[in-house]
Amino acid sequence: MKKDKLKIGIYELTGCAGDALLILDCEKELIDIFKAADIQSFLMAKSDNRDGELDVALVEGSVSTEREIEELLDIRKRAKTVVAIGICACFGGIQAAFLDKKDWERNFKEVYGDIEMTHTKPVHSKPIDAHIKVDYYLPGCPIDKEQFLSTFNRILIGNPPELYRFPVCVECKWNENDCLLNKDIPCLGPVTRGGCSSVCINYNLPCVGCWGPVEEANLTSEFQLLLDKGFDYDFIRKKMANFSGRGIANFLGKLKGEKK
Amino acid sequence: MKKISIDHLARVEGNGGIIATIDGNVVINVKFSIYEGPRLVERLTIGKTPEEDVNLVPRICAICTLSHKYATLSAMENALSVKVPPKVSLLRELMHLGEIIESHSLHVYFLALPDYLGFPSAIAIVSKFELEVKIALEMKQFGNHILKTVSGRYIHGENPVIGGFGKFPSKEELVWIKSRAIQFMPFVLKTVNLFCELDYPDCPENDTVYACCNPDKSKYGFIGDEIILSTGERINKDDYKSLTNEFVVSHSHAKHSRYRGKPYSVGALARVNNLGERLKSEAGKMYKKYFNRRWKRSPLFNNAAQALEILYAFERIPQLVNELLEYPEDPPIVNFKAQEGKGTGIVDAPRGLLIHSYEISKGLVAHADIITPTAQNIEDIERYCHIAAQKLLDAGQENKIRDRIDLIVRAYDPCISCSVHMTEIKKAPKDDWKKRLEEVKKRGSPLFIGVGKTNLSDDGVGVKLALELRKLGMKDVWLESEIDEKENLWRKSAIRPLIFLDAVDFRERPGKVILLPSHFVLSNSTLSHRLGPLFSLGMNYKQLKNSFILGIQPESVEPGEKISRPVRVAIKQVLDQIINE
Repeated sequence: MKKDKLKIGIYELTGCAGDALLILDCEKELIDIFKAADIQSFLMAKSDNRDGELDVALVEGSVSTEREIEELLDIRKRAKTVVAIGICACFGGIQAAFLDKKDWERNFKEVYGDIEMTHTKPVHSKPIDAHIKVDYYLPGCPIDKEQFLSTFNRILIGNPPELYRFPVCVECKWNENDCLLNKDIPCLGPVTRGGCSSVCINYNLPCVGCWGPVEEANLTSEFQLLLDKGFDYDFIRKKMANFSGRGIANFLGKLKGEKK
Repeated sequence: MKKISIDHLARVEGNGGIIATIDGNVVINVKFSIYEGPRLVERLTIGKTPEEDVNLVPRICAICTLSHKYATLSAMENALSVKVPPKVSLLRELMHLGEIIESHSLHVYFLALPDYLGFPSAIAIVSKFELEVKIALEMKQFGNHILKTVSGRYIHGENPVIGGFGKFPSKEELVWIKSRAIQFMPFVLKTVNLFCELDYPDCPENDTVYACCNPDKSKYGFIGDEIILSTGERINKDDYKSLTNEFVVSHSHAKHSRYRGKPYSVGALARVNNLGERLKSEAGKMYKKYFNRRWKRSPLFNNAAQALEILYAFERIPQLVNELLEYPEDPPIVNFKAQEGKGTGIVDAPRGLLIHSYEISKGLVAHADIITPTAQNIEDIERYCHIAAQKLLDAGQENKIRDRIDLIVRAYDPCISCSVHMTEIKKAPKDDWKKRLEEVKKRGSPLFIGVGKTNLSDDGVGVKLALELRKLGMKDVWLESEIDEKENLWRKSAIRPLIFLDAVDFRERPGKVILLPSHFVLSNSTLSHRLGPLFSLGMNYKQLKNSFILGIQPESVEPGEKISRPVRVAIKQVLDQIINE
């Protein structure tokens, strides 16, 4: 029986550890998760971790040091399937906001000075697919419990995960909220990946875009809409870039080109 | 050069790691590295609006996300002169207690307890204590339920905003939280008994300074406008830099902190030490029953302190809900117009004092400074680990070092992602001192002090070495007997490294040379009784951190003038190495 269990590893790179913590926050299901799968490695939860062959590796966080690049390449070698969990692994997250490498280097210097790190060399933060092939992306900041459990279950029975492929607005309508954009509040719901149950709008607050851009997001239209509502060009640009990291790099590049 | 890991677990992973280096009978150093990559959060908030900053900075940490939210809200509201209505403050306190319950119960039951029961994880404990683990999970879930109710999500909820909340929980939701808190009490009391009665090893024990927020009206709690220290001193939150004095080290992406040049500790144990007398009802009774002087000296009691705080939180919640219900109207979000301002906010996160400080200019963040509890604790973690490692080594229990260091680090609850299995023990390579000496020379041309008595055979080696160095034309060489007149020496040693030359009995082969940082000597009884007096000559901590001991194992310290052959060989090696450029 034990032989048939899928071997799973959960790994954390640079980030807030929120996705791994959310897995521990599945309090009611946690014992079952450990019974259903053979959790080979989960640093946050256990100390008898092994680095062998894996069926599935769940990787959270962005790649921000040379040591993490090595670790990630090793995980890819050992795992049949790699799932990026959370916005940092999917898009780079907030620490990938310095898209330009020079800009990142300048800011690194502002914080740490000229000190040379002896323990590992820091590198410009990027999502994991900048270094390895990723099979599935489970977005979120952090990931959503329901979506995680359904993805985990589907993987356990050998099916690909089925993820929401629509923006927050769809869930927001399901929840029968009033549209905040109609009230001239800058909401990123139309361009942000759904799956959070439109939590902020349920609390009368605008979407901040923390899950990153939805596939085929019409960023240009959102940008124009906010401009029409009288918001400042730089304000909108920064707002859209706060969480999206690399996910919005092309759009920002295009925007820069247009302005010139 | 060869590095030998004496542990069977060859690889150490995770986002933090401890490396203890041992040379024979001496622990040379202990370094806590944060491998977590740099995220530059303080930099990326620059140019953002205050509201955006409040969205972004809690992403620093998933476990203390709402503490970050709370500290940043309070800093921003100070900067922008926003006064929130009482209902908002009360609801923020409830949210904070939810985080304390969630974080502490996760830590004591799931991270710390397995060590004491000899299991690799809490899941493994299920086989024996299924009911306890399940209730502990429910307790953690209750904490999470509060977080979700108040903030919108388990992690990174956005409901708390500058000036108030997007939405307030309903009366029914609050009453449910109150009744559920009361239901948990029997299990909570058992939790306190369990963690206060665990058999905490008596090593390491040593004094430190504890710091936490000082809640007003002499209450226990996690919020205040000033910081209180176990020395009795108080520091206004705006002067937080006089406590933290952050600096960068090359072996970690976390900055370190020292108060008056010394390491200090923050966290549950700091709070119970500084504010425990203020605990009332059951928590007060438990405090009186269990608190003793060992709590002041051993970081391991942090687990006991966390259990006590879980009890405090469960007792406070029903009162807090009653106070909240006195305000039936939900106040609207307080708007702000200010475009300029400076403000600091402090809050005691589950892991200790958390500081956010901002400068707002033209409506945007112009400067941000964030100091986390773990960053403040790192220096003390390294110090306690060193004390424990040396003590165990002295007692011939080298095999226990790794587990003990794990235990200490985990007791500090540094951050969940780096609190499991992180210790690596390295055997120093042969002639390690040569490499170390070259590293010291890089800091500046060293000053030397020869120590010892020339009429006790090999004990004269320090003086002999010093005299030889003088013969070779080196300046800035002193003998122990000349020190009192050398104020000038302390001034120079503020910028240049200071090396004590001495015969030291490490119980090694005669002639063996060891070079180690002086501040670690204080935790090594063999060395401290001898060199201790030298360090009380008016050296400050910075000088102490820049001073080293070059020790040579003597063969004999009988009365006599003769220096033994192996020590003579060592003298020649040392001279060559010092002169060698």
